[in-house]
Amino acid sequence: MSEKRQQVSRRQFLNYTLTGVGGFMAAGMLAPMVRFAIDPALQASSKGDFKAVEDVENITEEPTRIDWEIDQVDAWYESTVTKTAWVYKDENGDIVALSPICKHLGCMVTWAGNDDYPDQFYCPCHDGRYYKSGENVPNTPPPEGLDFYEYKIEDGTLLLGPTKPRGEA
Amino acid sequence: MQWNKQDLDQYFTAEEYIDTLLIPLIPITFTNQKEMEKSAAQQETGMIFVREMEKHFKGRIFLLPAYHYLASGDLGAEVSRLNEWAAKANERPFKHVFFFSFDPHWKKQERNLNGTLLWMPAIQTEDTQSKETQSIIKDQVNQLTGLIKTYW
Repeated sequence: MSEKRQQVSRRQFLNYTLTGVGGFMAAGMLAPMVRFAIDPALQASSKGDFKAVEDVENITEEPTRIDWEIDQVDAWYESTVTKTAWVYKDENGDIVALSPICKHLGCMVTWAGNDDYPDQFYCPCHDGRYYKSGENVPNTPPPEGLDFYEYKIEDGTLLLGPTKPRGEA
Repeated sequence: MQWNKQDLDQYFTAEEYIDTLLIPLIPITFTNQKEMEKSAAQQETGMIFVREMEKHFKGRIFLLPAYHYLASGDLGAEVSRLNEWAAKANERPFKHVFFFSFDPHWKKQERNLNGTLLWMPAIQTEDTQSKETQSIIKDQVNQLTGLIKTYW
């Protein structure tokens, strides 16, 4: 036998081609499946987002109402929701950010909302009251203290995130 | 509370606390473009108002879906229908029934209504999202909720 004229036989050539084409087709089918499978992990969760709301130096020891907006997406539509927090510095200079949602039935509480209790949070619906710390005043309707907002401080700016019930804080 | 299943579940765990019913009254007309646009704008801002009020007093106010009616100068027939609503609501029992509307024709019927009418002149605005409109609405909602508090 002299020199092989064909270094790749017809059979080999067909094998390579079919493997190649088959591989592409398999990859084409698998890639979207993999993408869909890991998709939820890639989505930025809007729930855990922190939003810059105020300069830390502007926050005093007096609870102050801060409003800000977040984009909320639910199953059917996207909307802009206004969030509210009562923010102050405690005696150690740490930030306290409280949710205004009454733990009784969900009304909005206000700091010093009742002239008789100038140093408490007051719920106008059923006279629920909370101390400055957010703890509920015993013998008023709320069963527990106000939720905390999770917060971060970046470059002197306060960022607020999701709320956390007292038990977990 | 609002008229949805989730809020109703909560309502029935705390029925005795939620004693106030809020019904938005929204006129609808088919006359001409100008009137129809006005009526649509009123329903948009009206719903923002009542939703804000409900948000402040979620634990005491129950917000019903809007009561729609054909715009008319004479609302006598609507008054008797609304009084039936109020009577049923009182059986629930809701102690206070509030009607909210921008339609001035209700003002004439106010004393015939078995409930409290919250009427106010409509806000004419092109853009309910603008900062100025938002702060006007917030301020007016505060005044309205203050007013409701005096009835409790």
